[in-house]
Amino acid sequence: MRLLAGQIRDQYGLQTPRVLKSDLRRIYKDQGIHIDLWPYKLRKLRGAYFNDAEGASVMLARGLPDDPMIFTMGHELKHHLVDRDSIVALCDPSNQSAEIEIGAEIFAAEMIYPESMFRDDLLRLGVTMGSCTAEQLVALKRETKTTLSYAGIAKRAEFLGFAPQNSLAKVAWKKLEESIYGVPFYKQRLAARMHSF
Amino acid sequence: MSNETVRAYVGKRIKELRTAYGEDGISQEALAADLKVAANTISRWETGTYEPTLDDLERLSRFFGVSIVQFFPQVEEQDPKSKKVDALLRAAQSLHQDDLDELRRYAEYRRARSLQKGTKQRKRP
Repeated sequence: MRLLAGQIRDQYGLQTPRVLKSDLRRIYKDQGIHIDLWPYKLRKLRGAYFNDAEGASVMLARGLPDDPMIFTMGHELKHHLVDRDSIVALCDPSNQSAEIEIGAEIFAAEMIYPESMFRDDLLRLGVTMGSCTAEQLVALKRETKTTLSYAGIAKRAEFLGFAPQNSLAKVAWKKLEESIYGVPFYKQRLAARMHSF
Repeated sequence: MSNETVRAYVGKRIKELRTAYGEDGISQEALAADLKVAANTISRWETGTYEPTLDDLERLSRFFGVSIVQFFPQVEEQDPKSKKVDALLRAAQSLHQDDLDELRRYAEYRRARSLQKGTKQRKRP
């Protein structure tokens, strides 16, 4: 999966850990995958890959924030590249343990932020094995502008041994980010607007 | 079947479903209000003057509680791969019923798109 993710990054000129929706749209177009943003309410489902007589298409839950949307698009891309004979792949948190889904999770994470790049970035920030804190991961995301979510970054830091297992499971990432860097400007404006009513 | 014929068929189906809705049917104005479209749009769909988009048809299908493919002329035997999709969706027990329903609707939406595309492609010389 990692090799394949690397090949896709090379093929489409992805050089940083900041992969955007526009990058994925470009890749989808080139691969002949139709994107349907589904506007109706979905409970847990984030995306689904279909490939049958009607062609290859991906249903994505409209309204997903950017990071999870990008991850889901990467995840569904793996189904197209590897599992396209499966006809349909349904992707919700309840079937993440299935082998086919684990592969898609690894592919998506690696395509957005390759493990080797992640390791190098953490070492450059002075993080040593077993000592990584939530604050350091916030700094990493801030500095690299990666579109891999905090959950993804934390899982990988634990997996690689930079942080003890489960030490980052319950972190309120956005709150922590705001406590360090302040409330984002758009939120301040929104709050001001709410107060004016 | 030409695009015009399909458009007329779609219009006829909308009118049939509208007039059979509930006990007395629903007026074009009331349906338009529910779908948040202009009042005369429904009339234009029904007469085939305008062609509803797939998204319009999806909203209509939800309103009338029918499958989106019902707006298109019945096609022959389903493609074997589409049958497999149906079977896989039925087998996806881990999903919440609401998500499963949405997936079925999406599968039908794709089928409708294919039917719509087919009629448009056949029209070309």
